Amino acid sequence: MNAKSEIDLSLYTRTDNIEGALSIRSLGKSYRIEDKTIPVLENINLDIAPGTFVSIVGPSGCGKSTLLRLIVGLDNDYSGDILLDDKRISSTSLDRGIVFQDHRLFPWKTVEENIGLALYNHDIPIDEKRQRVADHIRLVNLAGFEKAYPHQLSGGMAQRAAIARALVNQPKILLLDEPLGALDALTRVYLQQELQRIWLQHRSTVIMVTHDVEEAVYLGDEVIVMDAHPGRIKHRVHVPLSHPRDRAAPVLRELKEEILAELIHAPLEETLAP
Amino acid sequence: MSEQHSRRFSAPTLMRFPFLQGLLFPLLVIAIWEYLSHRSAAYAYAFVPIEEIWQSLLRLGTSGELFVNMTATLRTAATGLVIGSSVGVLVGVLMGVSRIVDTLVGPLYHAIRQVPLIGWIPLIGLWFGNGLFSKTLIVCLASFYPMVLNTYEGIRNVDKCHREVGRIFRLGHWQTFRHVLMPAALPFIVTGLMQALAFSWISTVGSELLFSAGPGLGGLMQTAQAASRMDVVVLCVACIGVMGFAMNHGLSHLSRRMLRWRNVR
Repeated sequence: MNAKSEIDLSLYTRTDNIEGALSIRSLGKSYRIEDKTIPVLENINLDIAPGTFVSIVGPSGCGKSTLLRLIVGLDNDYSGDILLDDKRISSTSLDRGIVFQDHRLFPWKTVEENIGLALYNHDIPIDEKRQRVADHIRLVNLAGFEKAYPHQLSGGMAQRAAIARALVNQPKILLLDEPLGALDALTRVYLQQELQRIWLQHRSTVIMVTHDVEEAVYLGDEVIVMDAHPGRIKHRVHVPLSHPRDRAAPVLRELKEEILAELIHAPLEETLAP
Repeated sequence: MSEQHSRRFSAPTLMRFPFLQGLLFPLLVIAIWEYLSHRSAAYAYAFVPIEEIWQSLLRLGTSGELFVNMTATLRTAATGLVIGSSVGVLVGVLMGVSRIVDTLVGPLYHAIRQVPLIGWIPLIGLWFGNGLFSKTLIVCLASFYPMVLNTYEGIRNVDKCHREVGRIFRLGHWQTFRHVLMPAALPFIVTGLMQALAFSWISTVGSELLFSAGPGLGGLMQTAQAASRMDVVVLCVACIGVMGFAMNHGLSHLSRRMLRWRNVR
């Protein structure tokens, strides 16, 4: 059964390493509150190669969630350019999937219907839609829960359904906005492994915003450290380790300490000293 | 031994059947009623002995008079409820979805809503007479108001997060309405329907009392009161109560089925 699902799912692996290139040029975003203009993001420049997993960490208010909203196309009031495969993003598209911290499944639809709704406007035959929904339910290990309503699922299961819903369109780029932030520690560790497995099968470009530095380092090919007020990129850290990874690898621990130290504005020595 | 003892006394048989619990107070009222009816002749006029009510039930039941009046009342209530609540949902949705409709129709709706239904009766009687049309119109209005209000609130209260998910999946206006707005508003709409049902039933009987032409329980009651037949009056009141209760019960069952995706009870 399990082996069969692997074979089926290989159909969805992105083999074209050309699509899913994101490029952000002098991006700025600000909100107007009464008469004051408050900058949220300032001069963001970023190039992400197709098929890479990029983690973004940073203090609250650094605009990392805003950045994802801009990339997914929910907000097109920004300056500068966000280009996906050289096309400027101006609204939402089935090429871009997103998973939020709260699963945002529709409570009035079953798991199957929720995932199916994502394919509603995808131009493929109905049989293929059905097949894709079934395959993605298996991909996230929710077989047997097709007919369950979201309130009948645990937090981790609901989040897995949300991941399946975001992937079912085979997006060029998958955006994860603190996807595991609301889960308990054990479920979280388990779903981090799951995310890695799913990504290795799907191979789309992933940008994940998280508060958890360990998670960022464990999953990301690259970790982007942001600074707040206004939000800007402070540092980019390459993680020199191939996937799948061993959570306990010394490199990961070193990088985690380094990034944590940077986030709390203290030299490395002071953080490590008792 | 003692355990068995305590079990027998801590859970009386009655408590294990909610249905029987619900019958407790009605039976008590009937008992007090019967007691009062036997005190004197004057009491017996106001509190008709149950025996007499039973006799008039048999008489009106077998002659078909009760059935004709009951169905007439039911038909008025159902027609008014269906038309009034359908138009109500439509207006509520339009007001909830479109800002223009909201600003155009909203103030008029909220102003008219302040006029009690009773306040319309002289005008409606003048315009449309005191027949079936006027009665049905009153019932339409009675179910229209709560339907508009609740539907509007339901649509306006749709979670912004859910609307965003609709945008992410590129749902069009109609798709968003069908898969996001309408189901999200459904709990409100069902609440509106429960209110509309209660109001439509009350206003049906009320309009029959005031527009007494044609068959109906209200009309029957009016005639019986004029003829000092309190047994028939009481019988009508009982019928109205029982039928209203049954309809409310049926609808709340239906609504629980429709909203089974909700995490309640």
